[in-house]
Amino acid sequence: MNLSYREKSIWGTLATTLVVYGYYFATIFGGAQPSEIDRMAVGRLMSAVFVIVVIEVVYHTIIASTSKIAPKDERDILIETKAYRNAYLLLAADLFLLMGTIVMIGLTPFLTVNLMLLSVVVSEVVKYLTQLFFYRRGI
Amino acid sequence: MTKSRIRNNIRTLRFHCSEMTQQQLAEKVGVTRQTIIAIEGDKYSPSLNVAFRIARVFAVPLEDVFRYESADSQGHE
Repeated sequence: MNLSYREKSIWGTLATTLVVYGYYFATIFGGAQPSEIDRMAVGRLMSAVFVIVVIEVVYHTIIASTSKIAPKDERDILIETKAYRNAYLLLAADLFLLMGTIVMIGLTPFLTVNLMLLSVVVSEVVKYLTQLFFYRRGI
Repeated sequence: MTKSRIRNNIRTLRFHCSEMTQQQLAEKVGVTRQTIIAIEGDKYSPSLNVAFRIARVFAVPLEDVFRYESADSQGHE
């Protein structure tokens, strides 16, 4: 499969997001949840963000040296626009669902913040998947 | 609603233009090679701007590069 720099970039970012945030949410939702946001939870999130930045920098340095980088053209922008639309719709739906859940059953601040973060991450994943879909299938 | 598709002769025009590569065409038009591949494969309909730039590279009118086909016209063929 002949992948462009942009597709390689998206695949790498998608894999990094899934692995790092997958691990983060597995530890957050898997263990005992504090009622308030404590220093440890913030530390875990900061670590996850740091790991993602490091992996992304290393990965993009590698693919930049092996692939030809071309500036975004109209097709890239169109695909990105459609991807952002899908991500936005999902994020809006997620947030309304979360607001409803808070009103109906109530959630701890810790759970609320992490579910909001999960919504953002899922939206990002949908954005990457939409881009990969349109790059392969055509638009 | 009538389903329409924009077909093109870019592959043929490149062949008649000293076997111009997709990369060379992409650089002259100002898009990526992947976009030229997508246009050639009828997977992407370019904007008017890019369509005119492609026609200008081959020094032919737009109609010689792209043609509009609707489901109706396909049925008559």
